[in-house]
Amino acid sequence: MTDNKWYLSTGNEADTVISTRIRLARNIAGIPFPSRMSAQQLSEVNRLVKNAIFSDPSAKDEYTYVEMDSLNSVTVAAMVERHLISPEFARMTDGHALILSKDESVSIMICEEDHIRIQVMCAGLDLKGAYERADKIDQLLGSHINFAFNERLGYLTECPTNLGTGLRASLMLHLPALEACNAIDRLSATVDKIGLTIRGTYGEGSKALASMYQLSNQVTLGISEQTAIDNLAAIAMQTMSQERAARESLDRDTLDDAVYRSLGLLKYARSMSGSEFMELISKVRLGIATGLIKEYSLATVMQLIIECGAGAVQEAARREMEPMERDRKRAEIIRTRLAS
Amino acid sequence: MLCEKCKKNEATTHIKTNINGVVETHHLCGHCAAEQGYSNNMFAFGIGDLLGSFLGGSAPVSQSVRCPVCGASFDEIAASGKVGCDKCYEVFLDRLVPSLERMHGRSKHVGKRPQTANAQPTVAERINCLRGQLNDAVAAQEFERAAQLRDQIKELEEQDND
Repeated sequence: MTDNKWYLSTGNEADTVISTRIRLARNIAGIPFPSRMSAQQLSEVNRLVKNAIFSDPSAKDEYTYVEMDSLNSVTVAAMVERHLISPEFARMTDGHALILSKDESVSIMICEEDHIRIQVMCAGLDLKGAYERADKIDQLLGSHINFAFNERLGYLTECPTNLGTGLRASLMLHLPALEACNAIDRLSATVDKIGLTIRGTYGEGSKALASMYQLSNQVTLGISEQTAIDNLAAIAMQTMSQERAARESLDRDTLDDAVYRSLGLLKYARSMSGSEFMELISKVRLGIATGLIKEYSLATVMQLIIECGAGAVQEAARREMEPMERDRKRAEIIRTRLAS
Repeated sequence: MLCEKCKKNEATTHIKTNINGVVETHHLCGHCAAEQGYSNNMFAFGIGDLLGSFLGGSAPVSQSVRCPVCGASFDEIAASGKVGCDKCYEVFLDRLVPSLERMHGRSKHVGKRPQTANAQPTVAERINCLRGQLNDAVAAQEFERAAQLRDQIKELEEQDND
């Protein structure tokens, strides 16, 4: 079922960059934004977006139109874990829909916070490629739909934080060594000053789960798409080289033990909670990236992260499960994957 | 200053509206302002009026400026952090700009424009083009022409700031 999905490929700079995500927010002129729209207007927006995307006859081979009402709660939870929809959108069922590409790299949420949220994801670092794909979809939609746009404020969005370009470019970074050196807070304070933000991808509060961090632009007004992406790429490159330097400075013996201990637990445990899994897989990922582990690839790590979310585990079992049962199922999925 | 409507009482309420880019300023006394629907104080209305508006009766218009398309008031936008529709950005522009500047550090879009809006060059693009010509004129010591260009730029900039 997961064949040909974007996350099974290995992208550029994969040792430190897990994935790239581009999001464009767009609204349709003359129709109230989602928080103030009627059910009738919602179905009108669904129709407009669907018609625009499927106006190209070849689009039906690439995209599917998914009605949220047709999905069960387990599938929806798994979609949130794969970042195809936001947790907010997951709660919006009545009449909501999205358009999804077969490889899941493109997701267009209709009437989430804005009428249209175009999202493109790819493995590793490829801001330019991901932006170009998003831009192409934007062009296609724009040739059928009259976007809410204002000369002064740019693309108009429900939340003023997205005004202007409506662009949010993010990189998911794996920074275990910088985290071990307590360098994340300093990095966070620095990027904040130049209109970027860094926060943990998983988990809540200040501690990021699995040392995975989302670096993204904050400012969208008064800065062009190109400049925003260039700034993000420049800071990402610096962060990546610092992470690599920090990895070099880690004590080899300690690292070696931590990596193999984690792999051992993953390979043999009979019950595994979601958070324990994330901590262990992070160490294994570091082991693969630094060349300690050779029998597994970074793509396998990504595949496991996707397969081991609470939603994904239940999706695989095709039913809802209690946490204890889920943990046993998760351990089984990991053992099978690492044995093959 | 006297109220522009009744011309009797001192004007205490000053209202600036921006509708379709047309900015108007009105000076009204408290009574006339309330009559026009401009008042921040809900208690200026009797309970009957409030009930009336709940029931869709013939109560006076709501207590503050509302977007004609989606019905949002600025207070509602400020409380939820959500703008109601594209029109709200015109109606409440003046009140939104300060927070936009705090948020983004700037309040003027640069970057992509939708194709449909592409037909006419923007004011900013025209200013840029004129600035280029101005530099050329100065370099060539054509000061009369430079002065003309400078005036044109100034005019466009003022238009842009409205």
